[in-house]
Amino acid sequence: MYRIFSRACLKDIPTTNGAVMKKTFTIVDLLVLLAAVLVLGYSSMAFSGEPGVTEKYKNAKVPFDAAAVDVIQDLPKNTVTVRQRYRGGLFRTETRKDKIARFKCSQCHNDKPVTVHQAAEIAHGRVVLDHGSTEKPLDCYTCHDREDRDQLVTEGGQRVDMDHSYQLCGQCHFRQKKDWVGGAHGKRIGYWAGARVVKTCASCHDPHSPHFKKRWPVTYSSPNAK
Amino acid sequence: MDPHEKKICQPSGGCPSSERAGCGRRDFLKAAGKAALLGGAAMVTGCSAGPASGEAMKLRWKEYFKKHYRLMTQEEKEETVARLERLAKLKKGLDVQIGSEASIEGVLFGYAFNVSRCEGYMECVAACVRENNLDRKSNTQYIRIFELEHGQMSPEVGDGKFFHEVPVPDHFYMGVQCFHCDNPPCVKACPTGATWKEPDGIVVVDYDWCIGCRYCIAACPYYGRRFNWGEPVVPKAEITKKQHYLGNRLRHRGQMEKCTFCIQRSRNGRLPACAQACPTGARVFGNLLDPDSEIRFVLQNKKVYRFKEDLGTDPKFWYFID
Amino acid sequence: MNKSPFKDIVPFVKDTIAWNLSGGPRYQIFLCVLAATMVIGIYAYMVQFSVGLAATSMGNIVSWGFYISNFTFLVGVAAAAVMIILPSYVFNDKDLHKVVIIGEVVAIGALVMCLMFVFVDLGGPLQAWHMMPVIGHFNWPTSMLTWDVLVLNGYLALNLIVPAYIVYCHYHNRQPNAKRYRPFVFISIFWAFGIHLVTAFLYQGLPARPFWNNPLMGPRFLASAFAAGPALITVVLIIVHQVTRYKIQPQVFNKLRRIIVVSAIINLIMLFSEIFKEFYLPTHHSLPAIYLYFGLDGHDSLVPWIWTAIGMNLVATITLAFNPGDNNPKVIFPACILLFIGIWIEKGMGLIVPGLVPSPMGEVVDYAPSWVEICVTLGILALGIFVVTVLLKPALIIEMRYEGTSKSGD
Repeated sequence: MYRIFSRACLKDIPTTNGAVMKKTFTIVDLLVLLAAVLVLGYSSMAFSGEPGVTEKYKNAKVPFDAAAVDVIQDLPKNTVTVRQRYRGGLFRTETRKDKIARFKCSQCHNDKPVTVHQAAEIAHGRVVLDHGSTEKPLDCYTCHDREDRDQLVTEGGQRVDMDHSYQLCGQCHFRQKKDWVGGAHGKRIGYWAGARVVKTCASCHDPHSPHFKKRWPVTYSSPNAK
Repeated sequence: MDPHEKKICQPSGGCPSSERAGCGRRDFLKAAGKAALLGGAAMVTGCSAGPASGEAMKLRWKEYFKKHYRLMTQEEKEETVARLERLAKLKKGLDVQIGSEASIEGVLFGYAFNVSRCEGYMECVAACVRENNLDRKSNTQYIRIFELEHGQMSPEVGDGKFFHEVPVPDHFYMGVQCFHCDNPPCVKACPTGATWKEPDGIVVVDYDWCIGCRYCIAACPYYGRRFNWGEPVVPKAEITKKQHYLGNRLRHRGQMEKCTFCIQRSRNGRLPACAQACPTGARVFGNLLDPDSEIRFVLQNKKVYRFKEDLGTDPKFWYFID
Repeated sequence: MNKSPFKDIVPFVKDTIAWNLSGGPRYQIFLCVLAATMVIGIYAYMVQFSVGLAATSMGNIVSWGFYISNFTFLVGVAAAAVMIILPSYVFNDKDLHKVVIIGEVVAIGALVMCLMFVFVDLGGPLQAWHMMPVIGHFNWPTSMLTWDVLVLNGYLALNLIVPAYIVYCHYHNRQPNAKRYRPFVFISIFWAFGIHLVTAFLYQGLPARPFWNNPLMGPRFLASAFAAGPALITVVLIIVHQVTRYKIQPQVFNKLRRIIVVSAIINLIMLFSEIFKEFYLPTHHSLPAIYLYFGLDGHDSLVPWIWTAIGMNLVATITLAFNPGDNNPKVIFPACILLFIGIWIEKGMGLIVPGLVPSPMGEVVDYAPSWVEICVTLGILALGIFVVTVLLKPALIIEMRYEGTSKSGD
């Protein structure tokens, strides 16, 4: 290449030789271009050689050993083992009974007489039931057991412990329950690794009025501020 | 706090900017007689004050000439982290713990966002700001939530600056943040290699190595990166003290920063602050390489899509619909 | 002459400085104005240095602004020197050969400004050494910015070495050895195309920014550069012709005018092609162009500028093409300035800002440089003019002297 240069560089090339000179330059030009393309091409190859992320996760079939994470998991207190397995085995969910202010319900709902106005004040008189469709609204006894007030009851008449209320919800919301067991609905508490502890349905949804309420967002965005 | 240090911090008060100005003047008076080298050091390292200034100056000098984080050995990393902790103590009287945990073998982080669950409460945004010590002055946020009408698909046509009661009927909400692309354009763009993809898939920035050219912002198709245009301000009482070198440690002006999937939390098995704060369970985080993980369940059982997938960035952030 | 080359350098440097200090009162005032502007620039930069880039109007959406706009444009001006170097060295054009030194000096000035603009745009100027190979971490070849750093500095070196060698030889009344400098000249020709293509690739390679991600950008950069650069060189030549005793042949202006016209027409054709693509069937990716030409969501700060630029380009191109004054400097001078400013607007702010607006999330904001940005920019421009002046003055004196002696020697 140096020879091409030096020949082209000779000072006394007559101008009539322009055509020859142009030719040499096209060759040099092409060589430089080729080199540039090769270098650039190589550098981008270095990236595309890696498999995509979809391929990466689809080929990963060995369960992750949570012990590899160096962490002391302070598990939330008051959890119960869910009576159903997910792919990774057993998992736990938050309890409910300890969060209901006046559990056990049978403290009031028993054979002793109760003054009605007092009950409205201290217990659940303010509960607004907004659950189910307008054509077929739910009532208290759709979920609560008439006889044993400390328990819930399924459509089939089976009693369900308050801590396992997800079983009850899952009768109608079977899709959500399937997602909840798998991990697409609801949420884990605290950790992605280690023992799986998830919120139960009633942790987030008020069972009497399960829709999320309208409210102000806690903050706002100002994308170009500085 | 020992009395010796109290004396140093007293003139500074709470506001970092007044501290800076106060120290600067004194430093100038002191430095007047000192050698040119020390003057240069002061310029490089900024101001320092009082009797501890010698130590702080020495530490800052070392800080200035430290290596790229990726080229450090584990001992050097630990030394650097210790130096930063000591500097935080000397300068601001802060007891921070800065980690340098490496990525865990067999982990590739992934995220899924349920567009039909998010209600736009912005709890995740607020939690992220607190956890990651984001600049309060410029209202820097890593996460953005866009309000979209039914029939719309991309945040580009939605409203990212809403502030009214949510959720609005016939609207849905879509959160965006850094998607930790597996083929990140920002990493390719960076002229100093100050941003890179860690083995667990997190795209991180070595804040101190960044020269602030902002080519990565231009290269990012997701508005995933934030620049410190001015000196960031975080009230001392609100500083998250559990930090990571590549995560939420305090940044300075002229440095690029971004979402790190809360590296200081996720590398210890914890959920990122946004996923933890979400009141509706719209955010799923986990290990993509674990077939039993929740994220894998979502990818396998839900209809998922990725934002601007046509750009070939291969994000590790999926959207799904119930 | 067997003397050590270093002994020869001392009088050369001494004379160069002396010539620069001498000059009439008008020259002194000119230097003072430049110095004052530079001081203003330094002050503004100190403000920016102490508060950070918050002193500019840039933000996370418009993250590149006035500095990078000027940088992009000036790379073109630097590259355009090749339009004089190429004919004078390769085709042995005698007329252009006489002004080649001026073209090269303008390129040096432009490159100094380019490097300064990149530097002031850095958020961490004290960390700039992180980019240096060996002591830092130079992310080459993946980052286009590292390519740009390489080609800009290389081009600066080439443009310093060759003229310095020739002028130095002429100072000592020697014939420069063509074998020594010619290879560098030819490298610099390719390099000139390189610097501007690489700068275009900086933007062109980003799929995130549809306005930039356009294969026409590189060629269009070259075309606009080969119009704006020679236009600036023409302006400098006219000034040199009027102010100094170094006289420029009229045919030089005619040759430069032809180069400018051809390049400006190619530039306009490419502009038309781009506009057609954006507006025939506008897509989501046409939003930046709509923002630029018509405004979007009530934001239209660039609209008057871009139409002014297009008007200027058209008027100047037509004027230069039909050449009503027959190369009369009174016509060419304003036409070249008009073209220069037109391309400066179009390829500066008109290129950088719409690339970033709307943001990748569809947000539209307006951008106008802050006083700090304007003052720093003025300071850098003054520095560029200063560099051109102090390099050109001794060079022209030496050239005139050399020509005089070689003519009397003939």
